[in-house]
Amino acid sequence: MELVQTLVNGVLLGGLYGLIGLGLSINFGIMRLVHLAHGELVVLGAYFLVVGLVPLGLPPLVAAAVVVPAMFVVGWALQRFIIQRALGRGVLPPLIVTFGLSMVMQNALLLWMTADARTLHTPLASAGAPLGGITVPLIRLVDFGVGLSCLAALLVLLGRTALGRALRATSDDPETARTMGIDTARMFAVAGGIAAALGGVAGMLLAATSTFYPSTGSEVLLIAFEVVVVGGLGSITGTFVGGILLAVAQLLGARFLGPSYALVAGHMVFLLVLLFRPQGLMPRTAPG
Amino acid sequence: MIARIAILGGAALALLSLPLWADAGARSTLIILCYHAAIAQMWNLLAGYAGLVTFGQQLYIGLGAYTLAIASERLGLGIWPSFALAAAVCGLLALPIGALTFRLRGGYFAVGSWVVAEIFRLLFGNWAYVGFASGMFIRAARRVDPWVIYYASVGLAGGACALVVALLRSRAGLALMAVRDGEEAAAGLGVDVWRVKLFAFAVAAAGTGLAAALTAVQTPFIQPNAAFSIQWVAAASFMAVVGGLGTVEGPLIGAAIYVLVQQQLGGSGAVNLIVLGTTSVAVMLIAPRGIAGLVHERLGWTLFPVARRPSDRAQQLRTKSIPP
Repeated sequence: MELVQTLVNGVLLGGLYGLIGLGLSINFGIMRLVHLAHGELVVLGAYFLVVGLVPLGLPPLVAAAVVVPAMFVVGWALQRFIIQRALGRGVLPPLIVTFGLSMVMQNALLLWMTADARTLHTPLASAGAPLGGITVPLIRLVDFGVGLSCLAALLVLLGRTALGRALRATSDDPETARTMGIDTARMFAVAGGIAAALGGVAGMLLAATSTFYPSTGSEVLLIAFEVVVVGGLGSITGTFVGGILLAVAQLLGARFLGPSYALVAGHMVFLLVLLFRPQGLMPRTAPG
Repeated sequence: MIARIAILGGAALALLSLPLWADAGARSTLIILCYHAAIAQMWNLLAGYAGLVTFGQQLYIGLGAYTLAIASERLGLGIWPSFALAAAVCGLLALPIGALTFRLRGGYFAVGSWVVAEIFRLLFGNWAYVGFASGMFIRAARRVDPWVIYYASVGLAGGACALVVALLRSRAGLALMAVRDGEEAAAGLGVDVWRVKLFAFAVAAAGTGLAAALTAVQTPFIQPNAAFSIQWVAAASFMAVVGGLGTVEGPLIGAAIYVLVQQQLGGSGAVNLIVLGTTSVAVMLIAPRGIAGLVHERLGWTLFPVARRPSDRAQQLRTKSIPP
């Protein structure tokens, strides 16, 4: 029964990991960009909620309604004014630029917010619903539900809307998209905004699920990265499945090897996938 | 040519005669400068010449430093054999690690290497033999004369530059740059792309491991979170990019700037890293070829020429063969 409990916890936490990966997946899918500051964007969303909005007494849903558009603007502006200028010049420039941005953001948060642990205090955090012989932790149920909803919304956006078509056209072939009248730089900025907005949602869930620090950004980036590779490059559904696999692996590792091995177990799954199935679990499926 | 000999000769003379005219403060600054220059040079070999941008070189910093610590502190090996062991361990381990991470391309290779380094950081932090996350002292290192450490680090930085120059002027170097400029085209010309990249990767790992062993002797204390820290890559990429990626003198210029910035902003790590990050981004966007690249563009001059130009004879042949 205890094992079932661990598996349930892992699958539910996987919803959050999948969501963390979605932002990176969008960046790679649309602009072929490995966005090394994505972890910091997630953590920025968490700080914005916990330090900026909660003290004002805003209810969580109202706060979320502020964080998501704000993060969209941050992601849009970063892409439009900084990252865009590094694209199309080879592998190195976007990596150096996004890595530099992550260093600046992480250390600015450190100066401003100190290294103290933060978390969002909600009654949900410790609540659980009994189900059979196990307890379903409510906050992780929320993680999973929100993560899945974001995936569904993204699939609809990319697959069924005019904006989604333009984004996919930009991703498939920027040159041709330009000749069809699509402003690709504008599309990239929108994609950067969407990715950061998803990061903001993930950040708020992260704040409610665990404690975080300015340095959590690096950890989040590596999780996002592993989730994307394990799931298969180019498939956002795969990314979500990858999130579940990674979270289950971490919690099983913590349970059987000890808490200090949780991260190692997650990394090992990544290495095993790289060794035996380098294309990932669900490579390249339409849409997105 | 004369300017080159004058600059290199003057620098060598100044560095070698340092005990005659400088104090312990200058010595320790130069030791730090030299091992940073070597680390940056190895990162430059990969990112600037082999097209392998990696954020995982802290793995070889940690492995090199821990190899020296374990060999000299736990196994009772002498300091110098421990150095050789550090280079060997890093160079050999880079082969399977490279073989695995080369399955990822571009940016994914960069971050995949970071994950591998993370695994080692976590494992060393859980390892009782090396004192868990609190680390261990390297007592044998305290018996080494600081001037010996100084000469070793000057030799290391000089050796790293000489290695890169020699490598680039060799056949392997030509293959390496061909791979960087276009893998398919290089493969089409008969270059074994995978092998050439793995060779460069192992050489850079061994060089980085050697520099890391020197940092361990200089400190002489080691902790997994510091030894396997991503900040080593932040430093290496800053030095290579600001100094001039894909040039031999670039990492030297970058290392000098890095050490200067560190000393000016000493105390607060966060401010230091914000300055490094901002500078890297600005240089990449405004002058992506760095300081050495600017000098080359404006004055047409390089300290270590490794570029190949078609010979005059080849030029003549080409002009003749074009019909009027």
